[in-house]
Amino acid sequence: MAKPEEYAERKTELAGWPVTIVTYRLGSTYHTTIDNTDPGAWVVKAQGTTKAEAETKALKDAQALLEKVKKNKPPTGCTSVPGF
Amino acid sequence: MAVQTAPQTKQDVLVSTDWVAQHLQDQAIRLVEVDVDTKAYAEGHVPGSVGWAWDTQLCDTLRRDIIPKAKLEQLLGASGIDNATTVILYGDNNNWFAAWAFWQLKVYGHEGVRLMNGGRKKWIAEGRELVTDVPTSPPKTYKAKDPDWSIRALLPEAMSASAKRAAQLVDVRSPQEYTGELLAPPGLPETCQRGGHIPGAKNIPWGKACNDDGTFKSVEDLRALYGGAGITGEQPVIAYCRIGERSSHTWFVLKYLLGYTNVKNYDGSWTEWGNLVAAPVEKP
Repeated sequence: MAKPEEYAERKTELAGWPVTIVTYRLGSTYHTTIDNTDPGAWVVKAQGTTKAEAETKALKDAQALLEKVKKNKPPTGCTSVPGF
Repeated sequence: MAVQTAPQTKQDVLVSTDWVAQHLQDQAIRLVEVDVDTKAYAEGHVPGSVGWAWDTQLCDTLRRDIIPKAKLEQLLGASGIDNATTVILYGDNNNWFAAWAFWQLKVYGHEGVRLMNGGRKKWIAEGRELVTDVPTSPPKTYKAKDPDWSIRALLPEAMSASAKRAAQLVDVRSPQEYTGELLAPPGLPETCQRGGHIPGAKNIPWGKACNDDGTFKSVEDLRALYGGAGITGEQPVIAYCRIGERSSHTWFVLKYLLGYTNVKNYDGSWTEWGNLVAAPVEKP
């Protein structure tokens, strides 16, 4: 049985997307999770023996994932089944 | 018209992390973790909790549907839950899939079910104990009631709500999904052919119902949030999102925290509507 310690949460941007980074230590392992803030879906997570190691891994993976997100053209009005 | 309210109130459906910490040995309850990230449970969970996977255990894995009755009975029984057990659900992402499980338990008529306010995030942020061992308990016999379809909307009802304004549609996805700029939340798979929203739907993202620590906002704040958008409970409400879990969260808020009586979750959601041939789509 262990208690999470050093819980830290911060918000930033990756590849133009707002993300929330959460890191805590459980025993000797640091756990980092990065979600996409809105809607808050889990995106990536990583573990490391130091906080920096865990966050660096997670940030790298999240950056790569979020760079692939496609944006459609901004809507121009109320239409039906417009196609892209 | 007077606002209709359900008999259940906030106290009946939410428990705090403090309460859970004090009831870890309580044999009348069963803690269940349900996460978006199905590997999170194995990394550490609240002592005594069992883990359910939303993508294999809380659904029909043959056709797209909620968990079948027999499968639910088996899952609950194997989890040490009988009809008298109070199920305390919690999970990541401010209880997204915990709310999904809550909704399904209510479909099958389970009386005692609550959410741990703040979910996994708050438990961890507060530095509370986590374990990795899976609890063992004697299996029990669970008998589910016939499904209560009054809390679930299928496609025809969603279509009627849109075409005839028979119910208020609430799209709880992000504004960028609502406008069609995104087909899925960043980092998640795109599961639809078209972006936009169901004609007539109002956009109230699910997360607006939560505080930063993952807990639900006060009833007063929630009433202002939804009431301010015209969702007052005077008309039937149908909530939807992409696959039905975020909308379970909003369904929970509207039905159990605000007490609206006629609220349904359209779990087909945008993954269904956004793939329909010739279905009307509104942008933005």
